Amino acid sequence: MSSQNTYNYKVVRQFAVMTVVWGIVGMLVGVIIAAQLIWPDLNLAPWLSYGRLRPLHTNAVVFAFGGCGLFACSYYVVQRTSQVRLFSDALAAFTFWGWQLVIVLAAITLPLGYTTAKEYAELEWPVDILITLVWVAYAVVFFGTIAKRRVKHIYVANWFFGAFVLTIALLHVVNSAEIPVSFWKSYSAYAGVQDAMVQWWYGHNAVGFFLTAGFLGIMYYFIPKQAERPVYSYRLSVVHFWALIFTYMWAGPHHLQYTALPDWTQSLGMIFSLILLAPSWGGMINGVMTLSGAWHKLRTDPILKFLVTSLSFYGMSTFEGPMMSIKTVNALSHYTDWTIGHVHSGALGWVAMVTIGAIYYLIPRLFGRQEMHSVKLINLHFWVATIGVVLYIAAMWIAGVMQGLMWRAVNPDGTLTYTFAEVVKEMYPYYTVRLVGGLMFLSGMLIMAWNVWKTAAGQRAVDDAKIPDLALANA
Amino acid sequence: MDIVYLLVPLSVVLAFIIGGVFWWAVRRGQFEDLEGPAHRIIMDDDRPEQ
Amino acid sequence: MNAPPLSATAAYAAASCFHCGQPVPRGLRYRVVINGCEHALCCAGCAAVAQTIVDHGLTSYYSHRSALPAAEQIVPRALSELAAYSAPEVENALTREDGPDARIAALMLEGITCAACIWLIEQRLMRLAGVLGVDLNYATHRALVRWDPRRAKLADIIGAVAALGYRASPYDRARAENARSAERSSALWRLFVAGFGMMQVMMYLVPEYVTHGEMTPDIEQLMHIASLILTLPVMLYSAAPFYKGAWRDVRTRHLGMDVPVALGIVVAFAASAANTLHGSGPVYFDSITMFVFLLLAARYLELMARARCALTQEQLAEPGPAVAERLAAWPSSDLSELVASASLRAGDHLRVRPGATVPADGVIVDGASEIDERLLTGESRPLPKSVGDEVTGGSLSVDHAFVMRVTRVGAQTTRAAIQRLLEHAATVKPRLELSADRFARYFVQGLLVLAALTFAMWYAIDATRALWIAIAVLVVSCPCALSLATPAALAAATSALHGQGVLVANGDALENLARVTDFVFDKTGTLTTGTLRLARVMPLACGGRTSTPDECLAWAAALEASSEHPIARAITMAAQALQRSNASGIDNVAGSGIEGVIDGVRLRFGTPQFVAALHAAPLPAQIAEAEDDVTVVALGNAEGWIALFLLSDTVRPEAQAVVARLLHEGKRVHLLSGDRAQIVRHVAQAIGIAELRAAATPAAKLHYIRELQERGRVVAMIGDGVNDAAGLAAAHVSIAMAGGADIARSHSDVILHSGHLASLTAALDIARATLRVIRQNLVWALLYNAAAIPLAVCGYVTPLIAGAGMAASSMLVVANAARLMRRPSTMA
Repeated sequence: MSSQNTYNYKVVRQFAVMTVVWGIVGMLVGVIIAAQLIWPDLNLAPWLSYGRLRPLHTNAVVFAFGGCGLFACSYYVVQRTSQVRLFSDALAAFTFWGWQLVIVLAAITLPLGYTTAKEYAELEWPVDILITLVWVAYAVVFFGTIAKRRVKHIYVANWFFGAFVLTIALLHVVNSAEIPVSFWKSYSAYAGVQDAMVQWWYGHNAVGFFLTAGFLGIMYYFIPKQAERPVYSYRLSVVHFWALIFTYMWAGPHHLQYTALPDWTQSLGMIFSLILLAPSWGGMINGVMTLSGAWHKLRTDPILKFLVTSLSFYGMSTFEGPMMSIKTVNALSHYTDWTIGHVHSGALGWVAMVTIGAIYYLIPRLFGRQEMHSVKLINLHFWVATIGVVLYIAAMWIAGVMQGLMWRAVNPDGTLTYTFAEVVKEMYPYYTVRLVGGLMFLSGMLIMAWNVWKTAAGQRAVDDAKIPDLALANA
Repeated sequence: MDIVYLLVPLSVVLAFIIGGVFWWAVRRGQFEDLEGPAHRIIMDDDRPEQ
Repeated sequence: MNAPPLSATAAYAAASCFHCGQPVPRGLRYRVVINGCEHALCCAGCAAVAQTIVDHGLTSYYSHRSALPAAEQIVPRALSELAAYSAPEVENALTREDGPDARIAALMLEGITCAACIWLIEQRLMRLAGVLGVDLNYATHRALVRWDPRRAKLADIIGAVAALGYRASPYDRARAENARSAERSSALWRLFVAGFGMMQVMMYLVPEYVTHGEMTPDIEQLMHIASLILTLPVMLYSAAPFYKGAWRDVRTRHLGMDVPVALGIVVAFAASAANTLHGSGPVYFDSITMFVFLLLAARYLELMARARCALTQEQLAEPGPAVAERLAAWPSSDLSELVASASLRAGDHLRVRPGATVPADGVIVDGASEIDERLLTGESRPLPKSVGDEVTGGSLSVDHAFVMRVTRVGAQTTRAAIQRLLEHAATVKPRLELSADRFARYFVQGLLVLAALTFAMWYAIDATRALWIAIAVLVVSCPCALSLATPAALAAATSALHGQGVLVANGDALENLARVTDFVFDKTGTLTTGTLRLARVMPLACGGRTSTPDECLAWAAALEASSEHPIARAITMAAQALQRSNASGIDNVAGSGIEGVIDGVRLRFGTPQFVAALHAAPLPAQIAEAEDDVTVVALGNAEGWIALFLLSDTVRPEAQAVVARLLHEGKRVHLLSGDRAQIVRHVAQAIGIAELRAAATPAAKLHYIRELQERGRVVAMIGDGVNDAAGLAAAHVSIAMAGGADIARSHSDVILHSGHLASLTAALDIARATLRVIRQNLVWALLYNAAAIPLAVCGYVTPLIAGAGMAASSMLVVANAARLMRRPSTMA
């Protein structure tokens, strides 16, 4: 059988399995640092200290867990919607092993303290170069597959994936421009406030194109597939894509409100953040309405529950985000735990949930089974995860508002009412609730790992799946 | 704010690139049928054979 | 003999067919096995299609389809054409080369009922050996197929589609679609450029508004230059239609809204560009781009709604036969061969069968028929034509076969005609729109004068502000909202109606529909489904022998084999599974029946009176006992009656509710029918219509409608679009229930192509809502202008606010109109 009559499921499976593994690792680190905030004694060694583990947590969750999920889903979707095998098996394998190497290197260097100190881009220059190589290979595989597609139309999910691949390449290259001074040390090519501006242009768009566009691609394929209904309005999904491209690029400076950045760039960021609300909600409504007429499926299908709940968190955090970019709100929320809550409602509620849903969809197909080992366990995972997220967000929201109010409270004589330490002390109960929420989410991932293990055990993994019509035509 | 002299021209260039991609999409008829693709992926049967 | 009671309960029905949902005739054993499950099928055709689907592993069609296949049998027709497509010259004429080893053809697909059908066809073709690519458009039901001519033939492709139960006919894609799709894609592209330019320019210029001079001059200059660069494509490309429109307006001295728009943006751009290069003074690139974008957006929405409507119309109007029946050796032999219409030459002789479309322009050389040329001329009555008369390609032979000699060739005769008709409909502006246009014209003249006066006045007061204030006046009060108010609402309504299965062919129809007081219904095909189904065969003793029902049915089917009459269709459908007899010497006597010879016996099939004329036996007693709504057709020979066939036409299930709703709203509802009084009364009672006129000739129907109109009533006539031509033409609004090929024949104002009567009430609701929206829009536009102009003249409005205000007002109008599109479906 010619390999051109089949889809490359091998690389999809590898990434899908590693998504679960890295999810557990990343969230475990998250739980540890959450505990360290309650019990500072847990900072046992320098390489286990909060300052070094925190970047490890973000990198592991965003780039290892989210990244592997995106690789898996985009490789699956681009093949199935283009009805061709991946452009190059060798390059695809390179992206898998290269990406794992990047993650492992991150897991080693970050605890050792090697960092550029740029948020979400902490990795030092040798790793940056490796990332660039992997990313170029990824772009070649992805766009090569698009180029040899057998279906004229490029499905909207692929547009989102494509924008994600290209933009991340551009962002990575511009932001990581740095001058090495030794093997593990470099300095940014930009200085002072310039660096901050570039960094947040990067930081914002990484959220926009890595954590939004990429996962919207997942959403636009897996929700219709799991619900077995065409997307509510395909037209709207295309408009959604272009509107996002139009607006997202320019909302970056809102991350730097009340900093040394000129006021006008901050205002600009605020305005564009507000404009962003429209395409975001358009997309969310489009995704949710796909279920119109099939709402009953939500009762019985926990995978669909994951996917649809992720959309409601997406809607919530894309509403919360622009609100927080309004200067008066930002004056209260900036630097508080509210921001952490906001990030996690996006990262856990939206990114993790949609990824988990998609992986549950993929795993049986990749191991030649009709469904997961236990649907009940998926359901359990769903409820544990949802309650975990809600606890997390609620705790951080209260903590953040409280912090903001306490920090700005002044006595009649103009002195601050509370010392910083007093405010920290007030946070303990909320940090504990946060830890419980995080633990719940982590245990959900462990349930998932068990379920995946039982699904795969004793099955022959599907390396190559038939492309239906080709298999028959050339039989 | 010298960085603006990088970011603003970069944005002008990007604008033209995005425009070019859109132009390509229109020319290639990517927007001609905005119903079919939604149905097409649903009909693609990706369940493993029993 | 004790005749059992005659009723419409179909004696032939049992379960319903797994493939098409029609009842499965009793005693038939067609089966298909899917995933180990056995399913019953109604006929050999469905069995073949279902088996093909199973054999090719496409059974997910059955789990995903949302509609059953069309009941109308199109496969026999598709198969009959198949032979013609296998000839190499036909294939060459209908397809074109695409690279060294590939040919490409554009196919129009018939019989598609839901998305799963498209998928089925696409997958089947992709699995066909030699096919290189398939591109199927869900919206237009058209396909582009590429294949390797060494491994496949056009006939294979069309045959594969036919085997699935659909009909694919090649058509000339280049001519049909390029013009419109070019227009649409350039409009989309203009809109994109403007939208993108707007976003970017905003991004550069908004900081100026929010910072109150904190920005350093060099950065400000940088931003202005970047804005200028990104405004250029908007000015040069996106806004081009406004310049063209304005230039046309100036030349023809009919000032429209394009004039102030073009003037405003050009002057604003020139002044802003000068200020940018000069390095001082205000710039308004954001206002310009936003203004252009919002105007284009409003126009694009309107264009889309129109395009969708035209496309449906074109799609429903058959493109005419791709294949013609050529008599190569006529008159010495009447052997015929099927050839591609495209390969016809002047001088060829063709046979045109009743019900078929004339494939080319020519002259009748043998036979005579009534020819329906409505499509070409709008003339609603079929004209009798005989030897020596000219026939036009695209017209329709109604009742008889004839032979013609081709005089002018080209498949374009048909298509060109349809095209002309549609273009005509699209260019004629509805009354509502015309009056708005006229008003806008005077308004623009006044506006230009006002802007000039404002400029002069302010030049005297404060010369630096004069230009900007004049531009603001020009822009803020541009009558876009006024000009868009009506067409946007009409387009939105048209689009909404399309969604309800209603096609509006005449722009005035909506306005008239909202005012209708009297609804006049035809019966057959309107209040009833119009398709007769054979309910029962009653063999009678003839010459001492009683035939079996199947024998009788087979004879009747043989006689009716080539007829398109509804009774014939019902008979052939019921007789599908039976062995065919052959009939010769067929003579079709319009309005009475058909006569022919089977196995040396002369038979007649038709009205009892017609059959009785052959043998003079008394009418059987059973006829008198037939229920009111049953049509009785008799079969007999010279010796007497052979059998009676009972056919029934059922009342549409939704008819009663629709009529009740009309009555509830205080409308008067009438029933006009050419049928017997008994039947008509029976139907009227069942539906709840009190005012009825039975046995009405077309002239009587016309008279009835005229009378109503003379009493000042506004009359809507609802018919099947073909038989009620005169009445439809006379009514204020003519509404046709029509599906499939009938659309091409009907030329009513409104066509309910859903085939669902409930669409009528939906249309009524939308028509009223449309008038309401138009009124709201006009009131808004006037109020807005009344408030904005004085402020602008006094200098309180900057160009940005002017542009935003005007554009917002236009968008508001369009958005208000767009509400019409989102009306909930009233269909069950």
